[in-house]
Amino acid sequence: MSMLTAVPPVVVLLAVAIVVSQLPRRAGHAVGVLVPALAVLWAVMVPEGAHLQTQFLGFDAVLLNVDPFSRLMGIIFGLIAAVAVLYSYASEADTTQTGYALSYVATSFGAVFAGDWLTLIFFWELMAVTSTLLVWHYGGKAVRAGFRYALLHGLGGTLLMAAILRHYVEVETFLFASVPGGPETAGITSGLAAALAAIGIGVNVGFIGLHAWLPDTYPRPHIAASVFLCVFTTKTGVYGMYRAFPNGHEAIAYMGGGMAVFGALFALFQNDMRRLLSYHIQSQVGYMVAGVGIGSALSQAGAFAHVFNHILYKGLLFMTAGVVIYRTGTESLKKLGGLWREMPITAGAFSIAALSIAGFPGFNGFVSKGIIISGSHYTFGKGPLPLGEFYTLEWLLLLGGVGTFMSFIKFGYYAFFHGEYDGSVPDANRLQSVAMVSVAALCVIYGVYDTALFAILPFDVTSEAVVHHVYKTYTIPHLIEGVVLAVLGLIGFAVTKKPLSKLGRVPDIDSVYNPALFYGFRGLVVGVTELYAAVDRAVVQTTGIVTRTVTSPNDVIARLRDDDTLVHPMRAGIGLSILILAVFVTVALLALS
Amino acid sequence: MIEHLPVLLVVLPIVGGAIPLAASLVSDRAGWPVATLTLVGQTGLAGLLAWTVSSSGTVSYAVGGFAAPYGIELVVDGLSAAVALLVAVISLGVLAYARKAGPHSGPFYGLYLLLVAGLTGMTVTGDVFNLYVFLEITGLAAYGLVASGRDASAAVAALKYLIIGTVGASLYLLGVGYLLAATGTLNMADLATKLGEMAAYDSTLVLTAFGLMVGGLTVKVALFPLHTWQPDAYANAPDTVSAFISALVSTVSAYALARLLFSVFTVDFLTAVPVARWALVGLACVSIVAGSALAVSQDSVQRMLAYSSVSQFGLVVAGFAIATPLAVVGATVHLLGHAVMKGGLFAATGVIERKTGATTVNGYAGMGSRVPVSAFAFAVLSLAMVGVPPAVGFVGKWYIVLGAVNAENWPVVAVLLASTLLTLAYFARLVERLYFAEATIHSKPDEAPVTDGSGQAVSFGMIAVVVIAAALAVVLTAAVPTLEHVLRETLIPVLNQ
Repeated sequence: MSMLTAVPPVVVLLAVAIVVSQLPRRAGHAVGVLVPALAVLWAVMVPEGAHLQTQFLGFDAVLLNVDPFSRLMGIIFGLIAAVAVLYSYASEADTTQTGYALSYVATSFGAVFAGDWLTLIFFWELMAVTSTLLVWHYGGKAVRAGFRYALLHGLGGTLLMAAILRHYVEVETFLFASVPGGPETAGITSGLAAALAAIGIGVNVGFIGLHAWLPDTYPRPHIAASVFLCVFTTKTGVYGMYRAFPNGHEAIAYMGGGMAVFGALFALFQNDMRRLLSYHIQSQVGYMVAGVGIGSALSQAGAFAHVFNHILYKGLLFMTAGVVIYRTGTESLKKLGGLWREMPITAGAFSIAALSIAGFPGFNGFVSKGIIISGSHYTFGKGPLPLGEFYTLEWLLLLGGVGTFMSFIKFGYYAFFHGEYDGSVPDANRLQSVAMVSVAALCVIYGVYDTALFAILPFDVTSEAVVHHVYKTYTIPHLIEGVVLAVLGLIGFAVTKKPLSKLGRVPDIDSVYNPALFYGFRGLVVGVTELYAAVDRAVVQTTGIVTRTVTSPNDVIARLRDDDTLVHPMRAGIGLSILILAVFVTVALLALS
Repeated sequence: MIEHLPVLLVVLPIVGGAIPLAASLVSDRAGWPVATLTLVGQTGLAGLLAWTVSSSGTVSYAVGGFAAPYGIELVVDGLSAAVALLVAVISLGVLAYARKAGPHSGPFYGLYLLLVAGLTGMTVTGDVFNLYVFLEITGLAAYGLVASGRDASAAVAALKYLIIGTVGASLYLLGVGYLLAATGTLNMADLATKLGEMAAYDSTLVLTAFGLMVGGLTVKVALFPLHTWQPDAYANAPDTVSAFISALVSTVSAYALARLLFSVFTVDFLTAVPVARWALVGLACVSIVAGSALAVSQDSVQRMLAYSSVSQFGLVVAGFAIATPLAVVGATVHLLGHAVMKGGLFAATGVIERKTGATTVNGYAGMGSRVPVSAFAFAVLSLAMVGVPPAVGFVGKWYIVLGAVNAENWPVVAVLLASTLLTLAYFARLVERLYFAEATIHSKPDEAPVTDGSGQAVSFGMIAVVVIAAALAVVLTAAVPTLEHVLRETLIPVLNQ
């Protein structure tokens, strides 16, 4: 057992990342698949409550902290990382990129297995760095997007850091409540620290208004890099949100509901495949944020179940979109169509993933989304706008589900089923197929055998002792709900298909703040440069004057000389003298009284 | 007789001044002997008074037998005795200069003695309104003396002096009115007790009175930026007058300012109203720096010396405003020392001009060999003014700096130390010109143009005055302990009460 807890996984994985980047392509990727797979095994085996306490920058730190939450994150992170490395190999990614990707995976492990805020923020910031490197590695348009990504995450990380410092001032320790020596109450201190933490983490999970980096960054890098990116940053954000708000918060719950609707709506407007999927990350993370925000055991179990499932189907979706791009070289849905004949495996994998994300009965999304919606109904308030039986947050989440159906019907329709594809393209290559089919199988397995999922959740949703309302996946009303959402989605797509096809690019919040930031910073830079130049000129002139005064003082004195025979400008006449006197006395009297 | 000394000091020059005016109807030559006789007597009386004060303390005298606070009181303590003696000695010394340098008219000596009467009156009076009267007498006599030069520029300078000086004196009178309104008295000692009791130090009435009186006197002292009359007046007046008024008029005005601070408003006022002290100190510091800067930029030596006074009086006022015993002793020493040095310097410029025609800094080039004695005296006086030990200029500055250090007034310490460098900046230039530069003026002395036309020859008396001034600038250092003792006996208790 001591073998398992001797070193935190991040150390091993970082070493592996370096090794992979140096090895030949085939061997490197083999190691890259094997080690995350072993990490899954490790995450399953490692005993709960294991701690690795140390000193970090002179503070108590816990580099390893195993509880059901971090275990679940470890299992799914390792799983998807192994598949994604396989997919990378199949999609002709080079070992440098896979090395960056694995370092990103490693820092994510560091973050989710951290037992204190200091370690968490340390790896949180490193994740921002490694993911930025992963984006930059592709070059081209990805570089500028990477800059914007890094800037926003730097800002978010700084806010979280401020929150953590504020928290430290209050409780005088960075440790989590669950580790030995930790504070009495879990979560971040309420008040300013909580507000800062919510916004700082909000950048990572894509709060509305802070989300623009998602659709901006994720469509730009290599197709395999997108598979990594879509998993780690946002899900670690959900995990962090839970650590900061273990009892939830109403505002966060409603923000989650808003994100579910907003993301799905904006996804509908997109034609770039990966951009559409990126908006769906925001939408799906909205469900998880809502689950964390509701704060009950049921909803939080749902949130983490959704993290688990989402990583599977969203990874699969990015893989299928990647294969389409890989084979056709086209990113836009408008230029695709009829591909199901050309690439049936990809079309099949996509269908499974789409049904999963939309929450159709029989697929894993149906299970986890159902838990959250159940939580929003049974363990959360009615909210300001209940519609009949449906509570405010509940119908927001359901509406997001309809939007999800609509946009995936759109994706599938335009990419695979609409019209004929001109020419012939091969289907996914063998290893891509292996990667996709295995994940697709998991989506179905966890949908059908929901007890397998329930077993790894932090709270047992089937036990009345644990949750307020026992959850059962396959009930008649729940099945009806799933089918109704699908039908509504179909109808909705049929109605909006025409207007949507005529819609151009819909501006998001970043079309406001990118120019604002750009011109603001340009103004700042120009101002600073000009100020520097002005100071420089002044210094040079002063130096010149001093030099002249020192080297040829007589010239300077001659220039200043008050020639007796001339009327000198500095010599005051009678009138001016009286004026000076009057002003002087006035000023003196004003100053005195 | 002894008890009448203070009033005799004022009466004697007034009476003496009337004689040359009347005698000028008969002969123009009567003026000088009468004035000399009067001032020899005056010097004797002043010396006697100073000796009395130093041996038996402050002397006071009720004019006409009307007792203070209703009658006019004359009060002579160590500070006023020293200034009165200075006035007498310097006016007698300048007469030796005037014997040859002129102007040679009866009315000139009448005004001359009237100025002495005014200055002495300002020095010995213990009454704020009486001070105004003597201030005006001093002013009117000084305007007349400046105008006695034959140039049009002298008349213009005198007019400028008259207008600005009169406005300044009027402001002072206004302030006296406010004080009278606040306390109902004009006697200085009485005011000192009633201010603070009858009217709070920080009441608008008292503050306004302070502002107006200090503002008015600042014009007379010629601190920057109210100095504008002074360079014109000093540079355009006849040399005799330049030497006389540069040595005494601003000096006695600065004395009056100190008298107001210590004997009317008192140190308690400065403590209660820190802004007043800071305003004075700030004004003094600005004056030190600005005066030096203006002095450096001058071409005419006499104007340069005039701006130098602006700077040096900044130093004196700073010392008085800091108002610790050390600083006050230092300011007094510098006040008296500056009078001797500045008078000597102006007298020296007159001699050099008469002998060589040089009036500008460049004109002074190489004059060290042409007029060795005067040039040497000029150099000694310059270095004394800069503050080279053991000259009296050093002692005064030293005490002021010590006082500022004691008061922990570091910005002022910095300005004071910098002022030495600034003073060096313009005097070193002159000394360098005198001794280390090629001559630019080669004409013979008798062909040299003389601006005031009151005779071109240089008498032994003129050179003697310059030399004695230079000697005094060094020797007076020896008198500092005596002065310090007298001040500690008579003035310092007022500071600490």
